[in-house]
Amino acid sequence: MPGENLDRARPTRALVVDDERLNRQLITANLRTTGYETVEAEDGLAAWEILDCDPAGFDVILLDRRMPRMDGLALLARLKADENLCDIPVIMQTAFATEEDVAEGMKAGVYYYLAKPLDRRLLLSVVAAAVTERQRWRRLRRDLDRRATAVTLMERGRFRFRTLAEAETLAVALASACPRSRFLVVGLAEIFTNAVEHGNLGIAAEEKERLIAEKRWAGEIEARLDAPQYRDKRVTVEVERAGGEMRFTVCDEGTGFDWRTFVDLDPRRAFLASGRGIAVARRFCFDTVAYRDPGNEVVCTLRCDGEAAPLPVEVDILARRRAGHVAAAAPADGEDVRLARAMQVELLPRPEVLAAVRRRYGIAVSGFHEFSSDLGGDLWGIDPLDDRRLALWLADFSGHGVTAALNTFRMHALASHLEQARGRPAAFLGELNRRLAGALPIGQYATMLYGVLDLGAGGFSYAAAAAPPPMAVDIASLATRVGDGSGLPLGIAPGATYSERRLALQSGGVLFLASDALAENPREDGTSLGSAGARDLVRAGVAAHRGGSDVDTLLAPFLAAVRRPLRDDLTAVCCTWP
Amino acid sequence: MKYEIVDGSEGPTLMLRDQLNFADREPFDTMTDKLFARRSRIVAIDLSGLDYMDSAGLGMLLSLRERADKAGVDVQLQRPKGEVRELLALACFDTLFTVSHE
Repeated sequence: MPGENLDRARPTRALVVDDERLNRQLITANLRTTGYETVEAEDGLAAWEILDCDPAGFDVILLDRRMPRMDGLALLARLKADENLCDIPVIMQTAFATEEDVAEGMKAGVYYYLAKPLDRRLLLSVVAAAVTERQRWRRLRRDLDRRATAVTLMERGRFRFRTLAEAETLAVALASACPRSRFLVVGLAEIFTNAVEHGNLGIAAEEKERLIAEKRWAGEIEARLDAPQYRDKRVTVEVERAGGEMRFTVCDEGTGFDWRTFVDLDPRRAFLASGRGIAVARRFCFDTVAYRDPGNEVVCTLRCDGEAAPLPVEVDILARRRAGHVAAAAPADGEDVRLARAMQVELLPRPEVLAAVRRRYGIAVSGFHEFSSDLGGDLWGIDPLDDRRLALWLADFSGHGVTAALNTFRMHALASHLEQARGRPAAFLGELNRRLAGALPIGQYATMLYGVLDLGAGGFSYAAAAAPPPMAVDIASLATRVGDGSGLPLGIAPGATYSERRLALQSGGVLFLASDALAENPREDGTSLGSAGARDLVRAGVAAHRGGSDVDTLLAPFLAAVRRPLRDDLTAVCCTWP
Repeated sequence: MKYEIVDGSEGPTLMLRDQLNFADREPFDTMTDKLFARRSRIVAIDLSGLDYMDSAGLGMLLSLRERADKAGVDVQLQRPKGEVRELLALACFDTLFTVSHE
């Protein structure tokens, strides 16, 4: 969206490169009225100097073709050769667009075209599309950076999904298993998205164009996903690693489409804002992309020589939405459970992320997770918001087994889509609840604690949905304050509202969160800690370890006494305030 | 889980005892069938003999409530004790059910 940048550090910024001052001013004026920042350059060389000084400073480049000193194509060649600049989308403005011109630009990496004279509406929609697409790719790649690569062990897998959020989660998980994952994640996401939008939901490219222009696209997708004729449609992905290549076969339940005009960017379509995903996937992400008529099945391949020896594994991880209790009774042994667990662990914050949090905020965060004998329903996360605030959350789905595990993937996808409310705990839970209420079968729900650590305000502002309360221990006095975890569980009542609460934190103080397994898992002697016992455990741990307290030292006495395997999976997070 | 259904003048009362947890899913469904077969407008669930309930137990109560809503039946939770009472309070179940502590 205009005016909002992925990094939130600055508004979206465009570089306008044109040797005619009037053209630059026309574009600049139009972009500024919708919230973009703009910088002007009078030719390719001037643009290069600006970009070279500040490679992270721009989100989109509007490029004129014919200019003195350095023309558009020459600048483009330099951009594409520079790893810091190569992924900034370039929109080529051109007065004459023969098919040869477009084809030449395509070869050089231009996927967006604007015709001169300038049409204001088209300018804004094409710029917005380019910026949005790049932000999406960057988000996918950022997600990718957080993943370990347990899926590399997969030799064969079968996956089914329904929504765009699930499509992206799966794209990230699969790409992390492959070479060239940073390109592959974009390609898989584009192919999967296409299967949902154009395949299962039957939205033609022209219709999508119109819906985006009318700002009705997201709403229409949600409405169709819920509509009776679409809601049971799934996309099936089969993955096979054999003979030095990865093969992805993607089938949707739609009626197919005229794929021939999409596999290469059709010059006749070059001036539209959308519809280039497949061409991008084919050109940059896969070695081959082959649609089969009528167009609801596509096979994408990727060469991957010299990979580690794979294990024979077959898994159907994104099972049907209403699998319910039957799925939960699946056996808790074997490769598929091991793989699913590994994928769940990949959703948790990685050590590099926690190290980065410590460097940036001075807050030491440590997390613990142990599975029960089955798949787990726990998930936690930490997400920087700005220079003094970061979100910390812990969720626990009811029950365990495949159903609960699938729900953690759903939660992970949903949570990353609620950007707007990330700094407002009560609003965040309210919105997450509304979405889960539409998605979870009766009897399934999640408990959750979602809060914001605020270095400026010196504390933890949080909202709760039937979660064990957060605890804060003062490092000097050992005074222990227990918060309030009460609230309607998520996913039961769509209109539920949540209230914001606060725990103040002093320098050196410890904030501790845990899933209910801490209070409830039986120990070897048959008793469980209970909520009072959990509080005493944390206080005693901080008393013994003071500034050296982390989640492992605090949990150690409990872990030594608990009966294994755990009855319910345990997650705990410990934060030490700077 | 142990249970007993006691028929009274205002409708049946379901007496739950011991624990309600993940393993009780199927017996709970069977028991719910029996309860709704009474076709009473009010169903009381007496929790005073229940020592422990886990998150799956809460889920079973929610399934029962959903079924009751569809059938126009009012479900009352009665006399939760100790940990069960704490759990119901934590999950704000008083906003979903009539809860009496009597």
